[in-house]
Amino acid sequence: MGLSHIGTSTARAAARRDPRIAAEVSVTAGQVEDDADVVARVLAGETEAFGILIRRHEAGLLRFASRMLGSRDAAADAVAEGLVRAYRHLASCREPARIRTWLYRIVANRCKSHLARRPTGDVSLDDAVVRPIADGSDPAAELERADRLARLERALSRLAPEKREAFVLKHVEGLSYDEMARVTGARVPTLKMRVHRAREALVAALKETP
Amino acid sequence: MTEIDPRVHAALDGELDPATLPPELHAEVRAVADIGAALAAGTPPASVEDRVLAALRRPAHTPVRRVLQWLTDPRSVTVSLRPVYTLAAAAALAGVLLVAPGDTGPALGAEEGIAQFVGRFPGARSVEVVGSFNDWRAGVTPLADDDHDGIWNANVILPAGQHEYMFVVDGERWVVDPLAGRYVADGFGRENALLIVRPVK
Repeated sequence: MGLSHIGTSTARAAARRDPRIAAEVSVTAGQVEDDADVVARVLAGETEAFGILIRRHEAGLLRFASRMLGSRDAAADAVAEGLVRAYRHLASCREPARIRTWLYRIVANRCKSHLARRPTGDVSLDDAVVRPIADGSDPAAELERADRLARLERALSRLAPEKREAFVLKHVEGLSYDEMARVTGARVPTLKMRVHRAREALVAALKETP
Repeated sequence: MTEIDPRVHAALDGELDPATLPPELHAEVRAVADIGAALAAGTPPASVEDRVLAALRRPAHTPVRRVLQWLTDPRSVTVSLRPVYTLAAAAALAGVLLVAPGDTGPALGAEEGIAQFVGRFPGARSVEVVGSFNDWRAGVTPLADDDHDGIWNANVILPAGQHEYMFVVDGERWVVDPLAGRYVADGFGRENALLIVRPVK
C-alpha cells in the first residue's frame, strides 16, 4: 500500500510511531517512489524497504492465493513463502518496474506447489476464504449474496487449476493478458481460451438450480 | 457448460467496445464482471508482512547455529541400506536407528531397501511421510511416537532408487526434512528432500 495515499504530515506522524516507515517517508515525501526505486534500495542492503513492496502488493497476492487454494491459511503460507523467495532472488528480477507480475508469478508457483501436494490436487473449501463484509441492512439480500458466492466458490474450485488461475488473474486481479502471460508463461491465445472456458463454467454454475 | 456469445468474450477481452453490442448481450457482460467483483470482494487474509520480515531478519545459518538447530528443530534421520557390509556397519554403529538385533524384520526383495524416517515434532498429533513412493498420498505412511517423547519414526521398505518426500505434521503442515542432505527441485520453485535407497543385495 505504501504511503502514497496519505498526506506527508500524516506519514511523518506514522513514521514517529513506526521506525520501519521512517525510511519510506524520507524518500516518498513529495513524490511517490516507484517499485524500481524500492527494489534498488533493497538490493543496496535496506532489507526493511522490502516491507514497502509487501504493503503495496500483498493484498492482491493474498486474494489471488486464497482463490487459487480455497483456504486463507494456505494462501497466507503461499504468499509468505513466495515473498521470502522473492527477496532472496530479487537480484534476478529483470524488470523491477514490473515487480508486481514477478511477485504474482512466484506466488502462482507456490500455489501450484501446494495444489500438487494435495491428495486430490483440488482445492478445499473447508475453511472460509474471502468472505464479503455484511452490513446487516438487508439479511435476505445478504443470504442470497452468500449463497451465490458459495456456488461461485464451488464452481471455481472445480475448475482445472490453469483455468482457475487465468480467470482469477483476469477478472479478480484485473491483469491484462500480456501481464498474465508474464505471470504464467503461457501464450496470450492460450490464456484467452482458458478464461473463456472458465467464464462459461462459472456462468453455468450460477444458472444451475441450487 | 453455457455457451457465451463470442462477441461477449471479445468485449470482456477488450477487443470490442461493449457499447457496440446488441442490448440483449449487455447482461452477459455484466454477469461475468459481477462474478469477478463477487470473488474480489471481502477481507483478504491478514497481512504477512511481519512474518516475512522476521524471516528475512533471521541470521544466516552458521555451523554453530546448525548444531543448535540439530538439537532443537524437527529432523529426521534416513538410513538407506546398501550392500550387506553397509548393513552390518550401520547396525554396529547405531542400533537405535535400525531394527533391533533378533528382529528378523520383514523380508526384503532383491530390489528393495529399508528407509527409516525419524523426526522430532514435540506436541504433534500426527506425523506422516508422503512422497513419490506413495504418490504423495496422506494416510499411507504414518510415523509413530509410542513413548510420547516427540520423536516420531517409521521403518519403510521401499523399492531401490530415488524417492522424493516431505513430512506432513497434524495432517496439514508440510515440512521439508532439514537434514536430508539431498534435495531436488519440485518444479514449482521449491525443493523436496531426496532419499536414495539401494538394494540390500
